[in-house]
Amino acid sequence: MSGGVDSAIAASILVEQGYNVEAIFMKNWDEDDKEFCTAVEDYKDALQVCDKLNIPLRSIDLIEEYWEKVFKIFLDECKIGRTPNPDILCNKEIKFKAFLDYAKAFGADQIATGHYSMISNQNGSFQLKRGQDENKDQSYFLCRLNQYQLSKSIFPIGDLDKNFVREKAEKLGFMNHNKKDSTGICFIGERNFKNFLKKFFSIQPGEIIKNNGQVIGEHQGLMYYTYGQRQGLGIGGGYSDYEGPWYVSDKIIEENKLVVVQGKNNSELYHTHLTASNMNWIAGYPPEKNKNITAKIRYRSKDALCKINYRSNDILVEFETPQFAVAPGQSIVFYDQDICLGGGFIEKRGSKNIL
Amino acid sequence: MIYFDHSSTTPIHSEVSKRMYEINQDHFANPSSVYESGRKAKSLIEHARFQIAEAVGAKSSQIYFCSGGTEANNQVLWSLINQKNKHIIISAIEHPAISKVLERLKVFGVESTLVPVDKQGVINTSILLDSIRDDTGLISIMLANNEIGSLQPIRKIIKQINKPNVPFHTDAVQSIGKMSVDVYELGIDYMSLSAHKFYGPKGVGALFVKNRDKFSSFIVGGNQENGLRGGTENIAGIVGMGLAAELAVKNQEKCIAKLNLLEKHFLSNIRQSFPLAKHNAKNNLPGLLSISFPGYKSDILMAKLDRLNFAVSNGSACNAGIIKPSKVLKAIGLEDEINLSTLRISFGKDNTIEEVDQFIKTLNDILN
Repeated sequence: MSGGVDSAIAASILVEQGYNVEAIFMKNWDEDDKEFCTAVEDYKDALQVCDKLNIPLRSIDLIEEYWEKVFKIFLDECKIGRTPNPDILCNKEIKFKAFLDYAKAFGADQIATGHYSMISNQNGSFQLKRGQDENKDQSYFLCRLNQYQLSKSIFPIGDLDKNFVREKAEKLGFMNHNKKDSTGICFIGERNFKNFLKKFFSIQPGEIIKNNGQVIGEHQGLMYYTYGQRQGLGIGGGYSDYEGPWYVSDKIIEENKLVVVQGKNNSELYHTHLTASNMNWIAGYPPEKNKNITAKIRYRSKDALCKINYRSNDILVEFETPQFAVAPGQSIVFYDQDICLGGGFIEKRGSKNIL
Repeated sequence: MIYFDHSSTTPIHSEVSKRMYEINQDHFANPSSVYESGRKAKSLIEHARFQIAEAVGAKSSQIYFCSGGTEANNQVLWSLINQKNKHIIISAIEHPAISKVLERLKVFGVESTLVPVDKQGVINTSILLDSIRDDTGLISIMLANNEIGSLQPIRKIIKQINKPNVPFHTDAVQSIGKMSVDVYELGIDYMSLSAHKFYGPKGVGALFVKNRDKFSSFIVGGNQENGLRGGTENIAGIVGMGLAAELAVKNQEKCIAKLNLLEKHFLSNIRQSFPLAKHNAKNNLPGLLSISFPGYKSDILMAKLDRLNFAVSNGSACNAGIIKPSKVLKAIGLEDEINLSTLRISFGKDNTIEEVDQFIKTLNDILN
């Protein structure tokens, strides 16, 4: 129970359904700077909910596990200019592993979270499904879960709308009913991403170039920029404004150069092909070849029809329509209609012949 | 609920509770007011002061009421910043209301020396004596530790101090009612007390000050407490504390005998059923046991005990309920793993052998 409204309502639904429920507050991040120390406030919110529901609240410390299994990998990926998604790793390694183990040690049979996603049991085979609320669907972040993890999990609010969840929380007298949704990466919170990362990396400035090689500015380190990024490039006007704003189209890691192009429709920003590695198929095996499969290349991207070619060490994905800002390091997540099939990490992007 | 966490706090004595209710009903006047009901309120406070003084062998004029042990400790330590000699010596196992205050006082030039303790949690007297410097302005050593119950040989230490006029403070918050506490026998200059540790109310405490020359008020305001502590007095709390102290001392022998009995019963049974269990500080305050259960995590033990309505404690949790390895257990040489498998069990005067038996049985079910 995070202190947020989703896990609060998840707990209340289980209580209504007659489960024997205990709440666990998880601390993953050691906040030494007081300004952003929200854990204590979150804990109080969780306590108020548990008091209303008359269930116990316990706390566990997963700070070390989070640092080792999520944050270090996040930093390593940033260092080589990739765009990692720590929330996906957090689900795989922390919430549905370290936390699950802990809950079992506490005597729990199953864990429940406030994820907007659903699990369906098809004769002992567990399927992960999109949440009912299209706008909140969080199956993308759960793409690396396996059968065992799903078999031990319940998502009580997966079939609800966020608005309904908030209304229910208000009816139940939960003080967090109108608490702001958390945004961005959990350990960064409301902080500025660049300022946060600066604590961990020295600044390595380099050239910002156009795709013809012309130098048009200076960047402060490739890790501070992501593919398709428009703001914060510091190059603004002066260069033929009529062609539109500048976008990051590529990073040349070896030369520490950031490549930018103008206009959102610039073809350099779009790719029809990508390779992905470290595939996790939730069913335990890959989907059949002829299925109509769609994919998301980031949390908020629209589902796009694609074909998967299985190769020895990776997969080659071919999209029907070119995709904007394909970012190495991000997760590509596959769907068969409402069923989330699993995902992998984007390695390269381009056209078929160069991959 | 079976409550074995009396070192955290104690349930309020029924007589104390009743008296406080009467005070709240009948004596609301401000003790600083000179009309009759004000004077009455003032005399009630003075009677409580006398009761506290009697309980610890002090004079009434040496007892100052405040909001609790934490404030009493703060008052003593903060007085250092106005003094020439700003060096302080403390033990490695002091309560955060001592150790954390010193972090804050650094910027005022207060330097501190931490004296280690041995495996039984007893301070190393020779290191302490060697740590005394020309500019040492205070020594602060707790009488009994709150996590492991180890007792410090305060009287012996003070007798061996060669340098005269180094004031000695002791945090005696855990001790009242469980051992005899006499300020003159101990030879101390300052002592902190807290009512809710001896069946009194929360939010009220007292400081013994042998000689107030070096003191100015810490909470600055009105002229209450002879100018040493501003703020309208918590009359019901103070009266409650006075009565609780009187009762604690009156029933002390009986209480100690009871606590020793419960403790002995628990230890002999746990040794039989779980021989790996380790009793951490053997010469402990009656009824306060620190027990490690190798191979078990204390937070999981706690959760399972909580489920069955037993209240015990494990180290100190932060505001979000996260258990960190205890600094006290670290100081007596426990590695993190065994540190985090330690429970504190603290019995109280109203616990029974039957409750201990139930606890042993429950622990057995969990451990085996």
